[in-house]
Amino acid sequence: MAAPFTRVYQPLWRKLTTTVLSTGVRNVSSTRQQWAELNVKTAGAASPWVLHGAVCLQRLPVVSQDRSPIEEDFMELMRQIEFEKSLLADHEVKVLEDSARMSRKQDEDYDSDEEDDYKNKKIVTAQDLEDVWEQNLKRFQPAPRSQGDGEKDLSSSERCLADSLVLLVKKDVGSQKIWLLPQIEWQTGETLRQTAERALASLPGADLKATFLGNAPCGFYKYKYPKDVQKEGLVGAKVFFFKAVMSSQKHLPLEKNTFAWVKKDELQEFLKPEYLKQVRRFIMAL
Amino acid sequence: MMAGFVCRAVNRIISSQASCCRPVVAVRHSHWFTSMLSLKTSAPLRAEPKKKKKKVDPRQEMLVKDRLKKRLKRMEKVSPELIPIEDFITSAKSFDDTRTRAPPEVSFEESERRALLLKEWSRHKHKQHQMEMQEIQEALKAQKQALMQLKLESKELYIAALRPDTDTLPFLHHGPCYTPPKADYEAPDGKYNDITRVYIQ
Repeated sequence: MAAPFTRVYQPLWRKLTTTVLSTGVRNVSSTRQQWAELNVKTAGAASPWVLHGAVCLQRLPVVSQDRSPIEEDFMELMRQIEFEKSLLADHEVKVLEDSARMSRKQDEDYDSDEEDDYKNKKIVTAQDLEDVWEQNLKRFQPAPRSQGDGEKDLSSSERCLADSLVLLVKKDVGSQKIWLLPQIEWQTGETLRQTAERALASLPGADLKATFLGNAPCGFYKYKYPKDVQKEGLVGAKVFFFKAVMSSQKHLPLEKNTFAWVKKDELQEFLKPEYLKQVRRFIMAL
Repeated sequence: MMAGFVCRAVNRIISSQASCCRPVVAVRHSHWFTSMLSLKTSAPLRAEPKKKKKKVDPRQEMLVKDRLKKRLKRMEKVSPELIPIEDFITSAKSFDDTRTRAPPEVSFEESERRALLLKEWSRHKHKQHQMEMQEIQEALKAQKQALMQLKLESKELYIAALRPDTDTLPFLHHGPCYTPPKADYEAPDGKYNDITRVYIQ
């Protein structure tokens, strides 16, 4: 940040705060040195909104998605066309040669001395090779693509391996218990991204390692406290969401009623409508 | 007057010598003493006239030498042989006529079906692309709004959010495969002969 920038910008902004903005603005330190530091919050007109940092933790897909009918048709068509336009491969040439040799053997006037290459050696036909390869393949059993009934277990992160899942947490807010993305209140002296990291780390019973994508929030949601909870100056809360991608696959199983790994289209069964509207914007199910 | 006298003397000597035909060979053992019968000249007088020294000479010689050296270098510079790009060389197998397949017999209905399927596919892909672009635009808008709100709240946090994050890049993620990874799978030891061709320029 250039020093001249602060000098030019600051007075303008100060004018704005005193005249235009009615909502209180969080105080900004005035000296040049303190621009560099984040830790100073001078007392003064505090904003009526409490800041929260939240984390949108995604488990990216582990397995490729199933093809839709048109994709299947198109794939078949492409394979057909490629096959028609291609030349014979080495293996296919060998198969043809082998079959020609076999037909020559069946002839009555077969003279094995006429064969140039194979005098007394053992012949490995292409068909034998194919059989060997098939047997090798059968020996390997891959892991199943879908869990079957395990899909219903919402707290397991191994469900729906073909989609990206988001972590939801059930929390007490006021008097109710609602599902929301893990969030925690902001404390002075930390950036909002650190708040989000703290929110992830403070989840009870969850040992999740995640990579946060960038310092900037990806979305925000503000809500007002009910009238009885509103103290002097505090109107409500503003939640800033940060995106994170889960890095470790192995972790302890989570508590069933507090945690849920949820696809984008299942979100509406869990989240409140207004909250859902804001959250859907940045959760991508691509 | 003196010169004339000397000349006459020389002529008389030479003529007398020629008439006598005496086999007198004047054997000169050194150049200091020439024959008494010839003109008296000293070594400096007999020397080749000295060349006038040109002052710019050494510089010109240097220039000529440099030019010659440059020409030599250019002639010696052979451009290194280019490494062939394996992908651009069509192997001889592709030109082998014995490998051609029988040409496909595509009926009229089949070709119609193929054309219609291709058009359907292009429509499907277009729709998919539009949806993807829309999602991305929506996410970007949400981020912009969030940043604006953060600016209204606190300048410091806004500046902290705008800082570039060096930890995220380089970002590494293993993409989806056809089957999920097995928990306790031991891959067999694979022995292989590396036959890649290494070219040295």
